[in-house]
Amino acid sequence: MTAALLATHESNLPPMTHGCMPALLLNSPALSKSTSAVAANAVAYAGGADATSGGGGGEAGSRGGIMIPASTVFVHPIVLLSVLDHHTRRQEGAGRVIGTLLGGRDGDRHRKIEWSSYRVFKRMILAASFEMPSTVWYQGRKKDDAFHVENSAPMKDSLLTPFPSSSALHPPPRKKKKKQVEITNAFAVPHAERGDEVAIGKDFNRQMLALHLRANPRETVVGWYATALPVDGGTDSKCIADTSSLIHEFYAGECDDDPIHLVVDTGLSVDALPIRAYKSIPVCVKGEPLANMFHEMRLSLKSSESERICVDRMIASSADKDGAPATRDEGAALQLSMERLLAMLETCSGYVDGVVDGSISPDDEVGRDISEALSSVPRIRPEVFDKMFNDSLQDLLMVTYLSNITKTQLLIAEKLNETLGK
Amino acid sequence: MAAIIEADAPVTSVKLEGLAALKIIKHCQESLPTMVTGSLLGLMIEDGCLEITHAFPFPEPPDDNKGDIIKTGHEEDFNAKTIDDEAAALDGHEFQLEMMKMLREVNVDNNCVGWYQSMYLGTHSTMSLLENQLAYQADLSPNAVVVLYDPMQTAHGQLVLKCYRLTDEAVRLRSTGKNNFIKPNNIFQEVPVTLSNPGLVRALLRDIGDGMHGSYGAKANGADTTFDRLDLSTNPYLEKHLEFLCSWVDDLAAEQYKFQHYTRSLRNNVDNRNAKGRKAKEELAAAIEEGWARNDAPRRLESLLISNQIKTYCDQVEKFTGGGFGKLYLTKGLHYEEEKKVASSTSTS
Repeated sequence: MTAALLATHESNLPPMTHGCMPALLLNSPALSKSTSAVAANAVAYAGGADATSGGGGGEAGSRGGIMIPASTVFVHPIVLLSVLDHHTRRQEGAGRVIGTLLGGRDGDRHRKIEWSSYRVFKRMILAASFEMPSTVWYQGRKKDDAFHVENSAPMKDSLLTPFPSSSALHPPPRKKKKKQVEITNAFAVPHAERGDEVAIGKDFNRQMLALHLRANPRETVVGWYATALPVDGGTDSKCIADTSSLIHEFYAGECDDDPIHLVVDTGLSVDALPIRAYKSIPVCVKGEPLANMFHEMRLSLKSSESERICVDRMIASSADKDGAPATRDEGAALQLSMERLLAMLETCSGYVDGVVDGSISPDDEVGRDISEALSSVPRIRPEVFDKMFNDSLQDLLMVTYLSNITKTQLLIAEKLNETLGK
Repeated sequence: MAAIIEADAPVTSVKLEGLAALKIIKHCQESLPTMVTGSLLGLMIEDGCLEITHAFPFPEPPDDNKGDIIKTGHEEDFNAKTIDDEAAALDGHEFQLEMMKMLREVNVDNNCVGWYQSMYLGTHSTMSLLENQLAYQADLSPNAVVVLYDPMQTAHGQLVLKCYRLTDEAVRLRSTGKNNFIKPNNIFQEVPVTLSNPGLVRALLRDIGDGMHGSYGAKANGADTTFDRLDLSTNPYLEKHLEFLCSWVDDLAAEQYKFQHYTRSLRNNVDNRNAKGRKAKEELAAAIEEGWARNDAPRRLESLLISNQIKTYCDQVEKFTGGGFGKLYLTKGLHYEEEKKVASSTSTS
């Protein structure tokens, strides 16, 4: 546990003063490069900080038995893209950029609305859901997560996949779950940092929020984002700076609940772009808040169906500098889907073989999921299948024929118009 | 509008940044079933390539004109409609200026380069879209574009983002107010769209693809859309298309009827003059010429738009059925394999 107590602020300010709490910062284990300036009184609290993060006894642990709620943050890719875009467009010489995060808490309100609009939409297009083969595929997909052996429990809870099967029309009953925050949007806010002082574009934030809410009234402020602050002349960077707790203090006043702090580490000190989410917990000693502790939260990406299609498209073309055409060849896409399906089936049968051989220890849960997935494939007698196949084929041929006739008619009309209708 | 782009080269391609694309998709998708619009910000870069780097939504107008979903009432008096639109646009205009002012402060590209709209199953050849786009191309820049996102078709696992602009021919026709014929194909010009991203974003996407931020690629937190394409049900989609085709063909017929009616009345007028011989012919020709140029003459553009739209539907149907055949035969192949296997296993036992 690297509990680093960073330079507390001017001691002449009382600890209760709004926005000037001393910052006690917990570095994340992965980035334990803190060059912490341990203040004179740091040692006195270090034990307390350790105890809090350990969740055990001690001075901090005794304050009303407050446990750090293990909540999850879901981030939509659009937010990350906004942050990176803002970072790219930052002022020259600016260390880091910050902005406001918009989204929903607990997912309830936000998602309910999503559901209702989704239902309307799906009904519009899938009003008359076909025939049998459709159910085969849908169910095959519905059991998608059965093919995945590793499934962490909290993520599974949140698996609210809008399938166009019957479950889409009736959202699955959700279990009582831990607090979740979903970040769906973000906008940049200008700010300036100099030493321990921070200036935030407060008016800008308010106006921008008002504008955003006009176009999208469902989102609320859930926190703020920042990119990593370069230190030591830009060779190194840190996710949480002293000023973070001041900004956090500001956002605590902006949103109804505890603000979430999202950090995208653009330092590129490792071969990746780490993303972290924090929430701040005041460290109290004998009822007096003394410091802010940033506690890392579980973070995962989440995207709606259409966002995902777009992101997948971009991932596929991310190697190409010039980008790729937005629409893809249908045949290639189909091939990709089939390959995925095949790979999943192979994973599955590999697992089963492994269990039969005894090389993999059997897991009842997985076994049940597999058998459920398999049993969802209906057996069709050949003659029934033939009939269905031919019916669909004829439908398709008929429609193609019709559309070709229409097109020909149009072409004739066009030609006539061109020659006569001058 | 804040800035007018110098038109040196016409737009030949559009580079849409991932951020803008996601913003468009998010807005259009979340406001379903209402069809929405927004503004595009970006920059004209060399070689007729337009880079769209940012997008923001317009607030929903107080009365959402639901007619836009399927088609705008062609029969309605167009003047009344534009006045209505103007009232709504004023609010939107202020919003737009305000938003651009704010975005400028955080160094976002501050050029409005066009607008976006959600479209319903490829319906884009409407009078309202044409008017809007004309306004953009006339007032803002000849290089303004409209990006259309189709949430319905995207639900099939295929991203449908299209970019259009009016051809110079169409602009000329509209601005001179002539009632001439142009090829339906030549009203809108489709501009190829590429999705591109700056380096940092590509790095992030790589990370996501490699599953660094949760197993995004393998297990869907939202929904896995790879298998949407395997959906074999073709009927709802085709039914919808046929339905649309029917109604648009009806419209076309109504338009044609209007034309016939008008021609007949013109001819009657001339016939009444009771002139004979060669002079009469000339007179007739002149009268017809004059008649078509009159303001109350039916507009050709309407029917041209309709036929363009019908053609779009036909193309979509063709594309869809093409994919449908492939999937159908794939299923058949799979099924027969299975049958064979079952048959062989029973025969051996």
